[in-house]
Amino acid sequence: MAEENPLEEELRVFEAHRSEWLLTHTGEFVVIVGPKVVGFHADYESAFKAGLSAAGLGRSFLLRQVWAKEPVYLIY
Amino acid sequence: MKWQRSPSKLLLEGPHVEILISTTRPELEEGQAIGLEYRQLQVHALIDTGASLTVINPQIARTCKLLQTDWNRITTVGGMAGSYPAYAAAISFPGSDLPGFDAIRVVACPIIEQPFFSCLIGRDILRKWLLTYNGPTGEIEVNAHQ
Repeated sequence: MAEENPLEEELRVFEAHRSEWLLTHTGEFVVIVGPKVVGFHADYESAFKAGLSAAGLGRSFLLRQVWAKEPVYLIY
Repeated sequence: MKWQRSPSKLLLEGPHVEILISTTRPELEEGQAIGLEYRQLQVHALIDTGASLTVINPQIARTCKLLQTDWNRITTVGGMAGSYPAYAAAISFPGSDLPGFDAIRVVACPIIEQPFFSCLIGRDILRKWLLTYNGPTGEIEVNAHQ
């Protein structure tokens, strides 16, 4: 079902570590490829480059900012 | 970048620009070096101060083969809510001196009842711009914040 629910594994890793990362990485972008935590970055672009370098072309990876709760974005 | 429309057209359509959207620049450079081909689309984008992030029609993500990087929760003023895939994309502004974005997050969510626009430029991009909206004259000016 990977095609229908991409990033499932990465999201599990994120949730397992969220509390711990809030102590030291709040607001930073974490990059996760499969089960592996690649690193933390201050901005999206550098995080993306790190993720691409770790995952290789064509493979999705999780690039998410560390917050206590996931933001809900409003579109008017 | 500065442009002018009639005040009534600006009122009707809102401030919009042409953008080029494609897979990110790092992917383009790496992929083209090994012979992969990528599509770049030119679409109309509404500058939307009411959008907290930049939204594209899902078809763009498929056509440009954008790489998914997250899921984001979105709520609209009509109450439609849901989790939508976020992708990494490159966005540039043809015919202008406005700097483009080599890798930026865009969320694929159907832009309903807006067939003219395939993209809403949200406040994540506006955070890097100075935007002047002159309703009485119909003039719009966008400058990159240094």
